[in-house]
Amino acid sequence: MIELSHLRKTFGSFVAVDDVSLSIPSGEFFGFLGPNGAGKTTTIKMMTGLFTPSSGQIVINGFDVVKQPLEAKSTFGYIPDHPYLYDKLTGREFIYYMGGLYRMEKNDLKENVERVIDLLELASWVDKKTEDYSQGMRQRVTFAAAFVHKPRTIIIDEPMVGLDPRSARIVKDSLKQQAKDGASIFMSTHILEMAEELCDRIGIINKSKIIFLDTRENLHLHKTKYDGNLESVFLELTKEEDEK
Amino acid sequence: MSTFFHILWFKNLMFWKVSSKRDFGTVIKNLGSLVVFGSFAVGAFYFSNFITAYLLEDVKIGLFLFHRFVGMLLFVFFVTINLGNMVVSFSTLYRTPEVSFLLTSPVSYLNIFIIKFLDNFFYSSGTLFMVGFSVLLGYGVYFGMPWHFYVLMMFGVLVPFMFLAACIAVIVLLLLMKLASKVNFKLLVGGIVLFYIGQIYFYFQVSSPVHLVREVMKYYPYVDLYFGSLDPVSVKLLPNFWVSEIMYFYVTKNFTAVTGFTALLLLSTAGLFIIALAIANAFFYTTWITSLSIKSLTVKSLEFKNSLFSFGKPSMFSSQTEVILKKEFWQFIREPSQWIHLAVMMALLLIFLSSVSTLNIKLDTPELRAVVYLVVFVFNIFLINSLALRFGFPMVSLEGSAYWSMRSAPITTTKVYWIKFMIIVVFLGILSVIISWLSNIPYLYLRKIAGDQPWLITYVEPSEMVKLLAYFSMIVTPLITVTLVSLNFGLGAVYSNFVEKNPIRIASSQGATMTFLLSVVYLVLLLAVYYFPATMLFTADVKELQPDWRMLRIVFTAIVIPSMVIIAASHAAGIRSLKRDY
Repeated sequence: MIELSHLRKTFGSFVAVDDVSLSIPSGEFFGFLGPNGAGKTTTIKMMTGLFTPSSGQIVINGFDVVKQPLEAKSTFGYIPDHPYLYDKLTGREFIYYMGGLYRMEKNDLKENVERVIDLLELASWVDKKTEDYSQGMRQRVTFAAAFVHKPRTIIIDEPMVGLDPRSARIVKDSLKQQAKDGASIFMSTHILEMAEELCDRIGIINKSKIIFLDTRENLHLHKTKYDGNLESVFLELTKEEDEK
Repeated sequence: MSTFFHILWFKNLMFWKVSSKRDFGTVIKNLGSLVVFGSFAVGAFYFSNFITAYLLEDVKIGLFLFHRFVGMLLFVFFVTINLGNMVVSFSTLYRTPEVSFLLTSPVSYLNIFIIKFLDNFFYSSGTLFMVGFSVLLGYGVYFGMPWHFYVLMMFGVLVPFMFLAACIAVIVLLLLMKLASKVNFKLLVGGIVLFYIGQIYFYFQVSSPVHLVREVMKYYPYVDLYFGSLDPVSVKLLPNFWVSEIMYFYVTKNFTAVTGFTALLLLSTAGLFIIALAIANAFFYTTWITSLSIKSLTVKSLEFKNSLFSFGKPSMFSSQTEVILKKEFWQFIREPSQWIHLAVMMALLLIFLSSVSTLNIKLDTPELRAVVYLVVFVFNIFLINSLALRFGFPMVSLEGSAYWSMRSAPITTTKVYWIKFMIIVVFLGILSVIISWLSNIPYLYLRKIAGDQPWLITYVEPSEMVKLLAYFSMIVTPLITVTLVSLNFGLGAVYSNFVEKNPIRIASSQGATMTFLLSVVYLVLLLAVYYFPATMLFTADVKELQPDWRMLRIVFTAIVIPSMVIIAASHAAGIRSLKRDY
């Protein structure tokens, strides 16, 4: 479960995220959409402890991310927009490394490493050093590393960057599986079709504020106002002032 | 050529954009740098001026010996620049994405080589120019040199001298990479390491400072005269010798000789630069292709699949500590620029220790005894500091872009900081104990050499005071090591750069230079605190007077208090900066 209340982040005089409030219950697949520079990644970085909020509160699975960071972090898995890994480790070592940081017990970790390697179909190359991986391979390893400790919440920033169709399918299936197993998923994406296919609810952020927040079903109703296309809804909602 | 200037223009633009940031943090940092660099320049000036006066007026070694010692220091300086440029050039020429990108554009291989070579040279030599100039100024002011001395020495001697070292480095590197397509790379690197170690050993054997001092001192007090016949022929072929000759002849106003040696230096530099360009024109692209296969070769050869460090193996540590230790181990051992550099430094350390541990320090002059004792003491610390700067400073930055994985995991940044710090402090702490024990052997087992039968060496029981001074040095060296590692590691976190992947470039960045200068200030402070008490205790020992033991207690306190302050401040700043937004 994720609760964001009046979340705000400023960098000097620039307001990156302004008064964002959201509530995502357990088991929900939430899609976070918005144009470039709208504040999606900043919101996610605050949720994962990479940025400190200027004000507001973030509670994940009952733990305040600022006041109880370790407890909160133990319950979620994070997949960043750029899948940077330690170049000199192999994919398998990286997954072990992440499991260790989540204090997993040795045998449990071993078992789960094998599970996520199977889930994301990494077996044929997971023992090569990550410096030799393609972008898609790196992305799949970060998914595996995020899933290894069986998180109750998954936070994903742009999951499809650099994935080929097969890898994209593997990732989508694995996310569906996680949601089916009861994990709540917070996913930022540019790919509208993906949000439409996977998400139960969608929020759109533009110029640091939430401008749309509703279920997939209601979004379909919105679509009919335009040409039945989600892209048109998105473009209309995120249009610059002078275009309107 | 227009492409070359086009790229150069944009590189400069980038540099100025980054350097001219106006936000509060950057301005404070820049002001801090200015104060530290400025103070260091002033310090280097006074130090060089003082040492020159001390050696010529107090110790009275004479102009000839003084310049021969300058020549020896310049040899070490030359080899350091040479090796440093070789290692950094490997990274900048063969490992940077910028070169990969430029190779896909219509820029000639030679232009790419020149841009990266110059970039590399000026990037890593900026501080050395400043220090070099301050030292020159201190030296020149002592001799009352005219303005043209500084201009010539800086632009006609020092810069070409350093550039010559860089040219040789890049020539060796290109040839090494060319050979790497046919010969095992590890074998070649091993050969180069042995060659350099042999070269240093050979130089000091041939130039033999002790022999030189003995021979020149026979002519005392006419020690300002020129004793060129004592110089071995092989030493005369080296650029450091030419520079020391230029300085000697400038002081003695033999301008014909100055012109001759300067021309020799400039022509050699120009010649070697042309050779480097010719080799690069012929080989740079092919060696770049070779470097791609070297990468996998080196990595594969360092696999320890079922070792203690395998991630699947159990360990005595908590899971978080265990995985961080293992990650650090593999990152280090699989990065050739890390372990090769460490191996080279360890080899040089071994040479130093083997020479120092057999020193005959049964000297009758207490001042000289104190100087030898303090030189060894400071040199030990300087070695530790070099290792701390090279390997400790970049440790936080080397988390790189993957640092998100730690920051988003349930582990505090403070814990990450301490685990990483413990790795380097334990390693260097143990090393410092070994170094301080071995280098103090001559004080614990005094060697007495009979004048008429020098091959007969007998060991003499040293006095209690000499023993105490040796033990004192052994005790404070590890404490100073902890201070220096804290300073380097902590400021490495403050100046962390998660974008730069090359540890050598991180260790020669502006932040690293600042850290180095601060550690030199600390070393000078140690020396200032310890010089007079050590001299007095050695004097008391030689003259068999009752020593004042309280002095050592005062020295100990004077070392402990600033050390504790540095340790606390470095860690506070380091931990604080790790908590910044990532």
